[in-house]
Amino acid sequence: MVKFHPDMHMLTEFTAGTLPLAQSACVSIHLTFCSKCRELSEAQTAVAATLFEELEPAPVSDSQLDIVMSRLDETAPLAYPRENRSQTCSTPAILQRLMAGDYSDLSWKKITSNLRISYLSTGDPYYEFALYHIKAGGVIPEHNHRGSEMTLVLEGGFSDSNGTYLAGDFLFREAGDVHAPTALADEDCICLAVLDAPLSFTRLKHKWMNPFLQLRAS
Amino acid sequence: MSVVTKKPGDDTVSAEIGRRTDEWSQCLRAIAKHRDRGAFARFFKQFAPLIKAFALSGSTLSANHADELVQEVMLKVWQKADGFNPDKASASTWVYTIARNCRTDLYRRLQKFDTPLSAEDVSLDQEGEEPAAMLHQRRTRERVRQMMGSLPADQAHILAKVYMEGKSHSEVASELDLPLGTVKSRVRLAIQKLQIHMEEL
Repeated sequence: MVKFHPDMHMLTEFTAGTLPLAQSACVSIHLTFCSKCRELSEAQTAVAATLFEELEPAPVSDSQLDIVMSRLDETAPLAYPRENRSQTCSTPAILQRLMAGDYSDLSWKKITSNLRISYLSTGDPYYEFALYHIKAGGVIPEHNHRGSEMTLVLEGGFSDSNGTYLAGDFLFREAGDVHAPTALADEDCICLAVLDAPLSFTRLKHKWMNPFLQLRAS
Repeated sequence: MSVVTKKPGDDTVSAEIGRRTDEWSQCLRAIAKHRDRGAFARFFKQFAPLIKAFALSGSTLSANHADELVQEVMLKVWQKADGFNPDKASASTWVYTIARNCRTDLYRRLQKFDTPLSAEDVSLDQEGEEPAAMLHQRRTRERVRQMMGSLPADQAHILAKVYMEGKSHSEVASELDLPLGTVKSRVRLAIQKLQIHMEEL
């Protein structure tokens, strides 16, 4: 059962289509885990659709209709399969689009003995979109956030001073929020992190790595 | 033939298939099943002016881009009509969703984003949702529709900015010269009034 969710404002911006691309991809993956948030986003879509129906119509010239009618033949209809899609615990579809393979096929950059990072390219120039692989029981050294960090657990889980997060759980941290997550003891943890500024390790022992943690948005 | 009881406020219910239908759902069905161009032209006349109004409401798109968006959305309607499921959404909700996704993609193209993800890839897809969930959604939609008229003007105004103009909460705050907290609380109050409960989480 998913315990941690995006707040209402984030879900509102997601539904309105105004959340930045990388963040909206992360929220969208959370929704594949969370029927409650799907339902809320659906209800917000109903709000938006009602506003849409009540817009003051803007005049559209007949020539626009002619142009569209003349292009119908070049637009092949799409057929949709009717059967229900199985929602087993496979890799979320959005990640499949970005990864070309499985988690194990990615190129992982080793940050510490417990932490490896693989950067994916969403095309969003302002946000880093990366998978973190934390070894079972491994700790990510205490770090600060210079910007916001959105995290979604994909496999396994981790805990920090606020609680324990399992697959599907969503976290959002603001700049200045210090934490040191530890992966659960019995399973490696894979999570997705979306950042708009690089991490910064706070302990002297790890600070030397900070220059290597530049933001890799693309 | 099964007998379907019609409750007040229900749309026409087709007895044979037990499914809610209305003029525009039927129109989409005719487009999907028979490639009916007459039905498509009727659908265009109804929805193109709303799509154009939606395109222009953000006031960042030129008239040319708005026309481009109308064409793109209507071609998608032609192309995707078979994917329309009247159990899941009303015709206008379906069109709104396509228009929103196309507008988001257009914004990103104009900002020269080079991305493998379209707004549709990222948007909520409920293929395969349980019938009970769909029924629940339909009730939610009906409730939202009834409640919208009773919202205070300042809350309705902010919802229009967020959903129709496609502005983030902070953009709305700076445009209206309001603190971000005020914008957020108006959105929250409006959503609460529409009985979309977040606290049930």
